[in-house]
Amino acid sequence: MKFSKSLTIFVSLALSLIACKDDDSDIAIPNEEETITTVIYTLTDSQNNISTFRFEDLDGPGGNSPTITPANLLANTTYTGVLTFLNESGEEVEDISEEVKEEDEDHQVFFINRSSNIAEIAYLDADEDGNPLGLQTEFITTTSGSGFVTIILRHLPSKNAVGVSDGGITNAGGETDIEVTFSFNVQ
Amino acid sequence: MYSSKIHLIGILFCTLQAFSQECAFHIAGVIKDEGTNIPLDNASLYLEETKQGAISDDKGAFVFHNICEGKYHLVITHISCATKEIFIEVSQDTTVDLTIKHTNHDLEDVVIFGNSSNTTNQNTETISNQYISDNASQNLGSLVESIVGVSTIKNGNTIAKPVVQGNFGNRLTILNNGVAQSGQQWGNDHSPEIDPLVANKISVVKGVSALKYLGSNLGSVVLVEPNVINQEPHLHGKASYFFNSNGFGHGANLELQQYKKIGWKINATIKKAGDRSSNEFVLKNTGNQEFNIAFQLEKEYSSGLKAELYASSFNTTIGIFQGSQASNLTDLENILRSEQRFSNEDFSYDIGAPRQEVSHQLLKLHVKKELNELAYLDFTLAGQLNNREEFDNRRSALRDTPVLGLLNYNLFSEGKYHKRLSNNYVFNTGLQLSYTNNTNDSETGVLPLIPDYDLFQIGAFTTLKKKLNKNTIELGLRYDFTTQNVLRITRNEIPRRVVAEEDVFNNLNASISVKRYFSEHITGTYSLGYASRNPAINELYSFGLHQGVASFERGDPDLDTENGLKTNLELEGDINERFTFKLLGYFQRIQNYIFLEPTGFELTNRGALPSFEYNQVNAQIFGFDIATKWEITKSIFSTAKYAFIQGVNTSQGNIGIINLPSNNLRFGLGYQFTNAFKLFGRSFENTELGVNSLHVFKQNNISFDQELPLNIERTEFVPIPDGYTLLGLSFASEIQLGKNRLRLTGKVDNLLNIAYRDYLNRQRYFANDLGIDISFGASLKF
Repeated sequence: MKFSKSLTIFVSLALSLIACKDDDSDIAIPNEEETITTVIYTLTDSQNNISTFRFEDLDGPGGNSPTITPANLLANTTYTGVLTFLNESGEEVEDISEEVKEEDEDHQVFFINRSSNIAEIAYLDADEDGNPLGLQTEFITTTSGSGFVTIILRHLPSKNAVGVSDGGITNAGGETDIEVTFSFNVQ
Repeated sequence: MYSSKIHLIGILFCTLQAFSQECAFHIAGVIKDEGTNIPLDNASLYLEETKQGAISDDKGAFVFHNICEGKYHLVITHISCATKEIFIEVSQDTTVDLTIKHTNHDLEDVVIFGNSSNTTNQNTETISNQYISDNASQNLGSLVESIVGVSTIKNGNTIAKPVVQGNFGNRLTILNNGVAQSGQQWGNDHSPEIDPLVANKISVVKGVSALKYLGSNLGSVVLVEPNVINQEPHLHGKASYFFNSNGFGHGANLELQQYKKIGWKINATIKKAGDRSSNEFVLKNTGNQEFNIAFQLEKEYSSGLKAELYASSFNTTIGIFQGSQASNLTDLENILRSEQRFSNEDFSYDIGAPRQEVSHQLLKLHVKKELNELAYLDFTLAGQLNNREEFDNRRSALRDTPVLGLLNYNLFSEGKYHKRLSNNYVFNTGLQLSYTNNTNDSETGVLPLIPDYDLFQIGAFTTLKKKLNKNTIELGLRYDFTTQNVLRITRNEIPRRVVAEEDVFNNLNASISVKRYFSEHITGTYSLGYASRNPAINELYSFGLHQGVASFERGDPDLDTENGLKTNLELEGDINERFTFKLLGYFQRIQNYIFLEPTGFELTNRGALPSFEYNQVNAQIFGFDIATKWEITKSIFSTAKYAFIQGVNTSQGNIGIINLPSNNLRFGLGYQFTNAFKLFGRSFENTELGVNSLHVFKQNNISFDQELPLNIERTEFVPIPDGYTLLGLSFASEIQLGKNRLRLTGKVDNLLNIAYRDYLNRQRYFANDLGIDISFGASLKF
């Protein structure tokens, strides 16, 4: 084989390789599933007064900053709290709280009370094993003032670990699906 | 290439007398050390077909009498040499001149290249076939760690990638069988998809500039190569089994080969291990599985044409420690606060989520044509397919859908020309082309961290080498042109859309080196090299959550090319052949050094996440590697190795560079039995016992301030782990079983079962590193 001949073969093979270069300029954008873009915590008292905490981050982490809406509450009032998790990133709104309910043994919501103006946040619901879930809660305020509450949804927590069934997150482990901190005023 | 020299042996067949009766021939010969040409006494020779044995005398001579006409296999063993087998055809009295590689003169298991005509002046260190086979359960990263100056960056214990003089990932090219490994090398938690058992030789080039290889790196290269097929007409092979107590890992490897007109070789490995344990408890979900197979064909034509076809398939599933997930800052704070987050779990072979499933296929055609005694042409065509899927704990229907799915294919072609000119000049030149396509699985339900892209590269190199008395001078130049088309998804607007980007890069590499033979015992090399590396896809375009480490990473599309200037000074030699040493000092100045810089916090639906952005600064990385071996007596030897490395960010007030290896110090003491000994009626040969220690110093390059609150910019979230010392034991012996030879090995790692964490192991945030491991291996050569 002559050098020139082998060079010709090599170059033609190499050129055929370049020809493989495809020009797809369009790709499918994945539907973002599981993402929680919106957290709504609705508090209703016995008089049907409604206060709502809302967290919204439609473009997900890293884009525009989330918007967080605080709530105004009444002093010395017992509320029933309902948590809703939504995925509003796609064309259709997806109710993630339904998925959490379906897999209640694998989830638990924790409420971290960072204020003396909340007397108690207690679980009203339970999973199939009788351990707390946290989509429904009792929320009791004390005197007027302002403060913060942090809501954390954990996936695959150790529900039987010490203190976890009482709402203590310290030994819970698992992965955090959402963690949002709301401010509030008690009047 | 150089493998032919390393590999075997000049065997000269000389004719003595041409008349004799049947079964009255003899085979005689002399055995010498390949390196020093000194005759070796006490070498044991065994003729498989006749079951005759012989021992070489003090002149290295041996003889077998009463040999019939026929074909024979001769096994040669000698203390501290790898056992070798050769094939002899006898039709008359025959004399063989044998050389055997006496590894004792080299540094432990790491063979240092001599001045072979095809190797370069660049510092190259090789791990032998025997070492790979004796450590069969280890992955590529852990194997190369035995070379001084090489560390690994890990995520747990099954994901490990090599770090050579501080360079890894995008700065280090890994060549599998001559082809640059193409996959998702950018990820620190992506192990190279290569089975070291399929390869027979692993080399690490600690160079100043990698001229012969395509791809953007700053001088360091890891080469993984299978041996050529032995010119041996009978079917031969090796079957091995290995076991590890930590993780109850089992593995097996089978190699078969034959050369009849056409040579073929097949090599298959299967491995399965369950949960590993730290010094105190089972690390849940840390098992792994692997199945690999490789097929090799070789044919030599009389016209000086040699063709090789190589196909390999690598498939693995790797579990990632279940406790190693931190979702946000609160989780990190909790990890910081609590000493022990996990209870003891039961051991299991199950691999759940999170896990990685990766497969890599390679097909390669290689043709070499000798034009004449002085010149040859060399062509390679190769294709690669890499499929990576990463699974996480997800809800309901998405449980079996990966969070990351990437398909990468690569086509590569190369043509090289080698010519030995008059006046001791050696000229090499080559041209390389490569096309890579990387596509995300669009059904993951997660926006991709790395966008889809295709990449085209063309590169050319020329090197010129000249021998001038006691000096060898080498000059080289390389140029690469790269263009890539990227399709990225917008992040801060809804609805999202696809934006096309096009990048063009030019890279230049140049080097000069001088090697001088001061005496038979001392060699020195000085090298100076310039290398440039364009920013890689992740540095430019990554965008998203890096799960597990709870960080938010952003690329920077405006990054410039990195330029590195590196200099190496190396001194290698021995004193009376009893004390061998190798010293290598290096200094690398990198302009536009790209790294992941902490930029504060990102508020997300998971809470606050530490946020990182790729940035570039000027950096200096320098250090030295020292390796020594001392033959105290004929059977006792000791080794010592020390690696020191320091990295400084000169643009930001001389702060340390993150993710550089810690300094480390290794000692070894070995005892080799000069004579075979009998046990259970069997003769145990080449028996060796060893004790070794590894001390890893605390990484003081990076500081951690316990007093600083977490929510400010910082490079480190948990205290830097303390230094630690590991002790180990090793054992090896061989038994001849008729025509077959059995090699038994045993090892104990982390003998004292100490608790430790390593700076470069990401799992250190969450749990202690591996506890005691007792391993055992048996391999039968037939």
